[in-house]
Amino acid sequence: MQYDVTVIGSGPGGYVAAIRCAQLGLKTAIIEKYDTLGGTCLNVGCIPSKALLDSSEHYYNAVNHFKEHGIDINKPKVNFKQMIDRKANVVKQTCDGIDFLMNKNKIDVHHGMGSFVDKNTIKITPAKGKATEITTDKVIIATGSKPSSLPFAKIDKKRIITSTEALSLSEIPKHMIVIGGGVIGMELGSVYARIGSEVTVVEYMDRIIPTMDSTMGKELTRASKKIGIDIKVSHKVTSIENKGKEVIVKAEDKKGETVEFKGDYCLVAIGRRPYTDGLNLEAAGLSTDDRGRIDVDDHLRTKVDNIYAIGDVVRGAMLAHKAEEEGTFVAETIVGQKPHIHYKLIPGVVYTWPEVASVGYSEEELKEKGSEYKVGSFPFKALGRARASMDIDGVVKILADKKTDEILGVHIIGARAADMIAAGVTAMEYRASAEDVSRMSHAHPTYMEAVKEACLAATENRPIHI
Amino acid sequence: MSLEIKVPEVGESITEVTIASWLKSDGDYVEQDEIIAELESDKATFELPAEKAGVLKIKVQDGETVDVGTVICEIDTSASGSSDKSEKKEEKKESKSSDESKSSESSEPEKTGEVKEMIVPAVGESITEVTISSWLKEEGDFVELDEIIAEVESDKATFELPAEANGILKIVAQEGDTLEIGATICKIEVMSGAPSSSGGDAKKETKSESASAGGDSSSSDSYAAGHASPAAAKILKEKGIDPGTVKGTGVDGRITKEDAENAQKSASKTESKSEEKEEQGSAPVAGSRNQRREKMSSLRKTISKRLVSVKNETAMLTTFNEVDMKPIMDLRSKYKEQFKEKHGVGLGFMSFFTKACCQALLEWPAVNAAIDGNEMVYNDYCDISIAVSSPKGLVVPVIRNAENLDFKGIESEVVRLAKKARDGKLSIEEMQGGTFTITNGGIFGSMLSTPIINAPQSAILGMHNIVERPVAINGQVEIRPVMYVALSYDHRIIDGKESVSFLVRVKELLEDPARLMLGV
Repeated sequence: MQYDVTVIGSGPGGYVAAIRCAQLGLKTAIIEKYDTLGGTCLNVGCIPSKALLDSSEHYYNAVNHFKEHGIDINKPKVNFKQMIDRKANVVKQTCDGIDFLMNKNKIDVHHGMGSFVDKNTIKITPAKGKATEITTDKVIIATGSKPSSLPFAKIDKKRIITSTEALSLSEIPKHMIVIGGGVIGMELGSVYARIGSEVTVVEYMDRIIPTMDSTMGKELTRASKKIGIDIKVSHKVTSIENKGKEVIVKAEDKKGETVEFKGDYCLVAIGRRPYTDGLNLEAAGLSTDDRGRIDVDDHLRTKVDNIYAIGDVVRGAMLAHKAEEEGTFVAETIVGQKPHIHYKLIPGVVYTWPEVASVGYSEEELKEKGSEYKVGSFPFKALGRARASMDIDGVVKILADKKTDEILGVHIIGARAADMIAAGVTAMEYRASAEDVSRMSHAHPTYMEAVKEACLAATENRPIHI
Repeated sequence: MSLEIKVPEVGESITEVTIASWLKSDGDYVEQDEIIAELESDKATFELPAEKAGVLKIKVQDGETVDVGTVICEIDTSASGSSDKSEKKEEKKESKSSDESKSSESSEPEKTGEVKEMIVPAVGESITEVTISSWLKEEGDFVELDEIIAEVESDKATFELPAEANGILKIVAQEGDTLEIGATICKIEVMSGAPSSSGGDAKKETKSESASAGGDSSSSDSYAAGHASPAAAKILKEKGIDPGTVKGTGVDGRITKEDAENAQKSASKTESKSEEKEEQGSAPVAGSRNQRREKMSSLRKTISKRLVSVKNETAMLTTFNEVDMKPIMDLRSKYKEQFKEKHGVGLGFMSFFTKACCQALLEWPAVNAAIDGNEMVYNDYCDISIAVSSPKGLVVPVIRNAENLDFKGIESEVVRLAKKARDGKLSIEEMQGGTFTITNGGIFGSMLSTPIINAPQSAILGMHNIVERPVAINGQVEIRPVMYVALSYDHRIIDGKESVSFLVRVKELLEDPARLMLGV
């Protein structure tokens, strides 16, 4: 078969690229190694984790908050199998949705391992049966990433696990030790803390979610402690041992003293590495850099001019929506359009409760750049809507240019922060000033009022409700 | 000036209307297009907008019935707004329609009667004439003090000409004219008062702003002026239009999708001009016997004169050697990343060559010297000229005291000067006084050349292309990246011993860069 474009990998980067290519009239194929489409995000990432986060949140509220709402129920019990089954069902429905979209857009789906024969020929090796070859004018590599591991600790997938296994455990851990206080560690840590596991997060840096503004890390630490997560920052893990039914994690604390943690599961969530295994990049004249990434230029073109790469296999944040933007970007670039991605305006989200979301510069980055900025913040506590729903944890922090008042960063921790951040992105895409936002009407009572108030605070320190 | 507002014709059968209500009071300041009254006819009610901004003088009161065509109020357009805010708004509105702007232009700032004559300034000791390369403003435009109104070219550099007063521009010398220092370039009819910075003139201003001005131009009201929305940015990019040349109609001058869609027509004048030029210069059709004649720029004229005179007036000779580039290339690939990370500039070959030349120059001072009449001038410092090809021709900015700079210092100077050269922003000072020149014909692929001395200097080093060559290393044939280097020198002051030894020294230092550090 001859295609205009072949996409290798069907995650959010790959399938979006394929759909956009098809929309633009290109004959498109997509190759997926696994049985289901959707990649990490749909199968073992965003979607299943959010399914479990919501289930565990409901349970937690039933146990801890219903009474105050005036709902008396018998003490609820976790049916963990059902929880995991529901998650699997959500995943299945979502993945089926991608099959539907491929059909709708007349994209040929090939199941099997895609590998380069040369820069225009791709071999597809299915799990069973014979390998086939297709030829293609352009190729988009969208093979994503895999969880990283520590060199001294083998992931045995039984007691020492990654996020993939953590989403399909058969029992509720008694004590889960989470290595890494980043997004994945905090999300899955909170799932298990809510349903009764003792959770200890061991983080190498001096704060959790270290890539985000430090205020967010502080607030999330406070909120996480409330649900019983024990957070150990500035701890360098030195060994992880599976002792059968027990895992022993040793770490060095700030003073250099060795500390030991014992648990029945250890989740290694120290990040992800680009995944290019089996692609046979050399045959196409490609290679990876020292961090395993495929080198691309500003147009996401590799050094071989008909091959592009997007998402987690290239530089930049490993986020599903970043990959999606890049998928669209490449498809449009291929047909000669001139799209644009504003990388600084790709939001980052942590789906804990309260949620954390941010876009633009953090205060630390502005300090480092030497920018003159001002800060406006507003706590959820002071919001009517937050009081009504008992979601009073959180704060909105707006960073704006001292001179022009242009918004440089929006950081939100609180209920529905993940949805609210879109307003921050919109404002920043149009280079709105803090005063611009504070002069726009915000519905009352809503969580978004916190953004307006924080903007008022940034404008001339004149918030209304505090 | 007072403007009479009459009852407009609202339909063929309507002959009279009643003033239903005045929405503004007598003496109010009204803005253009603001609704000032509601009129009633026997068929419909309609609104009366102000035709101009100014102070309202009501002539016919509420409830009165008047014929179509009757003057019902006057607007005193010479009066200023009641507050800064309304004034600003008024200006913005005015800038929307160009014919409006003209009248407001003449009504706002007042002529003082003085005429400022601008003359060609003395730009450097050896420069006697300049050429007007382009006018950024048009005849009759309102220009502000210190605003750049023209680009002027001399044989050595390009300058920007700032306006010396606020007022109306009267152009004397046209584009392409060559003027002597002191000759009149233009006259400015000086006007007093604020030029209503974003007022009548705003439109033209943004029009003529060069691409580099971008969104943050001084004439914009807001930092966000000229910022394209995501969809608009994509459309502009596809059309190849610089957002800086598009007038945004969004809040504070932001460029909306609609602005971007309509952009072609309002694209800047200067841009369309350069486009025309590009079209003219586009690739000729095969088989065409068309011939084109273009005026030599003064820069090119001077270069040609100087090159010939150097050949005639010096005893120029060239000596060659070859350099095994492997050690430098190894060193570069090993530390390229770290260097870039630490210093923020790439580690190029220029720093190695400059360092090597400086060391060799200090050892062979004649190569760094010059002849002045019957004297020889020796320099105890190394000011290294680097030849940079700019869009306007070859220029040679100078790295001062290169012997004292480290690798980072040299690389950042190279980047800084090359960027300025490309943008035509080099000053005369930055190009004067070099003691030795390095030129790199290799970047265009040359393998051997005999560069011409950059007078009054006495020598020039030519770098070339790096090619793989079989060479004998310890009795073995090896493939090595080799660069031929050339030293052209003035034999009157530099003897063969010095020139050849100098070049050998450079070769030694490059083939074993550790010697650069040790000074051996």
